[in-house]
Amino acid sequence: MRNKILIFFIIGLIIYVIDIGFNSDNNLNEIYISDSELTNLLLTWKSQVGREPTAIEATNIINNLVEEEILYREALKLGLDNEDRIIKRRLAQKITFLKQETLLKQPSDEVLRSFYNLNKNKYFVQPLYSFTHLYFSKGPDSKKRADKALKELIQNKTPNNSDPFLLGKEFYKNSTDEIIRNFGKSFENVFNKLILDQWSGPYESSYGHHLIFLNSRKDGFNPDWIEIKNQVLNDYFLQSKEEAIKKYLEEIKSEYKVVIDPNFKY
Amino acid sequence: MKSSKSFIGLIVVSTIFFIYASGVYKNLQSDSALEVVDFSIDGAKTDPASIKSNPDRSPYYGDLHVHTKYSFDAYVFGTTNSPHDAYRYATGEGITHPLGYEMKLKEPLDFYAVTDHGFYLGMVENYADTSSKQSKQPWSKPFHNINRPENLIVESVGQRSDIFSSVLRQTILQPYPYWHPKTIKAWFTKNIQLALKSFDYEVHKSAWSDVARAAEEFNNPGKFTTFIGYEFTSSTLVEGGNLHRNVIFNSAKAPIRPWTRIDSLNPEHLWTWMDGLRDRGVDSLAMPHNSNGSNGQMFEGETFKGGPIDIEYASKRMRNEPVVEITQVKGTSDTHPMLSPDDEWADFGIMDYRVGSRPPTYSKTQGSYVRDAYLTGLTLEWKRQGNPYKFGLIGSSDTHTGAGSFDESNYWSKVSLLDGTAQGRGTVPLSDERIKLMKEYTKEYNQPLSLLETEDGTYASVGFEQWGASGLAVAWAEKNTRDSIFKAFKRKETFATTGTRIAVRFFAGYDMQSINLNSESMVRDAYVKGVTMGSDLGEQENKIPEFIVWAQRDKNGAPLQRVQIIKGWIEKASGTPHEKVYDVACSDGLDVDPITNRCPDNGARVNINDCSISSNVGATELKSIWADPDFDSNTKAFYYVRVLENPTCRWSTWDAVKAGVKPRPNIHKTIQERAWTSPIWYIPKDDPLDIVPL
Repeated sequence: MRNKILIFFIIGLIIYVIDIGFNSDNNLNEIYISDSELTNLLLTWKSQVGREPTAIEATNIINNLVEEEILYREALKLGLDNEDRIIKRRLAQKITFLKQETLLKQPSDEVLRSFYNLNKNKYFVQPLYSFTHLYFSKGPDSKKRADKALKELIQNKTPNNSDPFLLGKEFYKNSTDEIIRNFGKSFENVFNKLILDQWSGPYESSYGHHLIFLNSRKDGFNPDWIEIKNQVLNDYFLQSKEEAIKKYLEEIKSEYKVVIDPNFKY
Repeated sequence: MKSSKSFIGLIVVSTIFFIYASGVYKNLQSDSALEVVDFSIDGAKTDPASIKSNPDRSPYYGDLHVHTKYSFDAYVFGTTNSPHDAYRYATGEGITHPLGYEMKLKEPLDFYAVTDHGFYLGMVENYADTSSKQSKQPWSKPFHNINRPENLIVESVGQRSDIFSSVLRQTILQPYPYWHPKTIKAWFTKNIQLALKSFDYEVHKSAWSDVARAAEEFNNPGKFTTFIGYEFTSSTLVEGGNLHRNVIFNSAKAPIRPWTRIDSLNPEHLWTWMDGLRDRGVDSLAMPHNSNGSNGQMFEGETFKGGPIDIEYASKRMRNEPVVEITQVKGTSDTHPMLSPDDEWADFGIMDYRVGSRPPTYSKTQGSYVRDAYLTGLTLEWKRQGNPYKFGLIGSSDTHTGAGSFDESNYWSKVSLLDGTAQGRGTVPLSDERIKLMKEYTKEYNQPLSLLETEDGTYASVGFEQWGASGLAVAWAEKNTRDSIFKAFKRKETFATTGTRIAVRFFAGYDMQSINLNSESMVRDAYVKGVTMGSDLGEQENKIPEFIVWAQRDKNGAPLQRVQIIKGWIEKASGTPHEKVYDVACSDGLDVDPITNRCPDNGARVNINDCSISSNVGATELKSIWADPDFDSNTKAFYYVRVLENPTCRWSTWDAVKAGVKPRPNIHKTIQERAWTSPIWYIPKDDPLDIVPL
């Protein structure tokens, strides 16, 4: 009885070794990307975006393809549809590894603070502007009307030739993003040059011309990290997740040799 | 032996009968769909009290109809973007289309709601994941790894269409036998889906909580608003009339699972459930969409079961469905040229087949369009049945990629691999290879072959060519917070656009002439003296209502061409419906012709070879005070505004220009982007005011 089990075990081992021998393919780690594949890829991009990709974009497109190919091969190598126990275990290990990375333990405050310091720019609170504006609806004379009104304002008179603006006259604590939302891109760099308590202009938007009076400005600042700890924590987890995948990719990437026709022309 | 068996049988039957008859069974059942979960997360978000409120209200632009990988069809068609990706897109970041290119907004949105199909939410992704429990089941095989990178190719379209139109149905309809513990559990918890073999409740709930979690993470009071939501994807049984609705919740508290077509196909049952949640402190609203593809079922003259509509039905519907999606990628549902032969702008965004029908099957017009529904509502009310169609208007995208496609010049349609290329959506002639491919797979999977042969080449003609780069929902709200925007929907102080960021004010009242259109206090005065979009205007003795309209162009779009007021009414004596379109403001200093009620041509043209448009034509803003020249104080009527931009290239023409080919024949080459406001209803005195509780 015991012998029978042993025999089965040995047979199993032999089959296993033979299997490994057959499946170790030496040429698998070579990625060949054909010219037509590249042409297709770039053409698809062009038909969607409507122009030729720049050199950097083209490189990125090709790199993405290579990375996809690597992942694909890696998956094949792992035989995702195979019933082999060893492979199952490796898959399980891999998934646990990724899951562990995503369900990281709560990082210490120290780690979070240094993460915050590294990404300070992202948490910078934009300056906020509160202002009044006079609006001159777009027309051949809107600039002239605005110039005239500005002259009157400087002489402490109240001009009466302005138009109501659909979004209102007073704006309270608008960030630059909100100013762009309300007035368009042309206002992006208007407000950082304005002087407090003073009328200036006219500034042109796609709606017409505007005179602006800046009531207050709250300078941009970096918040104390403790105040936004939850946000930092979320971002930290997100980045850790991305890094885990990147790291994994980096590790296996070195095992591959990539072959692309150096004389390829598009 | 035999007699003892039948004796036991008798006891069992009589016990069951007794339990049933005594009503005990009702207490045995719990309702899983009414269990409320708090999905809120801690976060150092802005203090809501510090957010400045604008008493004159500001327009906030958003999309309330977005599918991600959790929707069964989106996943089948190649979408792997998550709810988190969708929200990143809405806030201005670029995300990736399944075909590899970047999707990015020109301008971020103010609010967004991911609304995946509640039905089988998360399950298809689970079948595809070969490490899941479900993937070990034989029915999961066709789904295995369908969205691995190497499978995200146009060549897989045939297989995907086959899964969508036949495999899915077979997968879903596999109940356990009635004696199975899961069937019994399904009955005790009123959760029918538990009794289905291909359904995994844990997976379903975890996908739903991921949807909710993403909404909570991105909700940022004062800056960006999100809603927890899903789509109730119901239809009529016989004709496949689309009865789809999106449901959004006004809080971080939401039910533990969405109420879906598995629970019931009848929208009235959905409203009962929503009422039940409201009793538990969770407010929600449902938004019907794609009425155009409903084969007349969305705005029927009778109930789902074919019974008469009554006042109770009308108020229940209005309490739960204050707004309707008039425009989206699968066409626009304002009106149809057959319903509105005198409206020169009716032939816009017409998609005249039933949603999801294969092969595309004609959808009848009556009962399928919003303007027709408003008239039906007046007729029902005239017959003392209440008005179930007194809704406001929004637009949304219905994208299935996580990213709404609003820009004609940068369009990716909605179903990922199927229409993500110009050839796939039928605007650029097919290459020989693709013709061969299409022929092969239509044969292999028994799909209808839809090719259009023309002098300029052979086009795919599967219906995508009727779709559009539309639309947006706009709410007039005091501030950009969940509560403020939700209240705007309930007030119906909303308008819809075809993706453009037009802004439009609309007021009606009796003393409006006294308001100076050019004064800074105009809006405030109008709020005081009149009512705004979405409201009722009561009769005042011997007075004619006056309307104020004020429209502003999209700063990044084309200038405005004209503003119109669309009026609908029914004859008091006979109930005969009528409609009329009045131009009320023209660009370029032109005047409305008092006989035709039309602005003269402003001369705006499009060069379809490069999509350039005439410069120096059109208006930045259009304003007007208007009194109805045909007003009759005894006649019930509704008035809504339509704003039209100068013509621009349609997305299909942009596709052709980019590919350097001629635009496809027999489809519109240009469009006029537009906005529609919610109506104002005029209510005569002798007809008692029908106050519909919101």
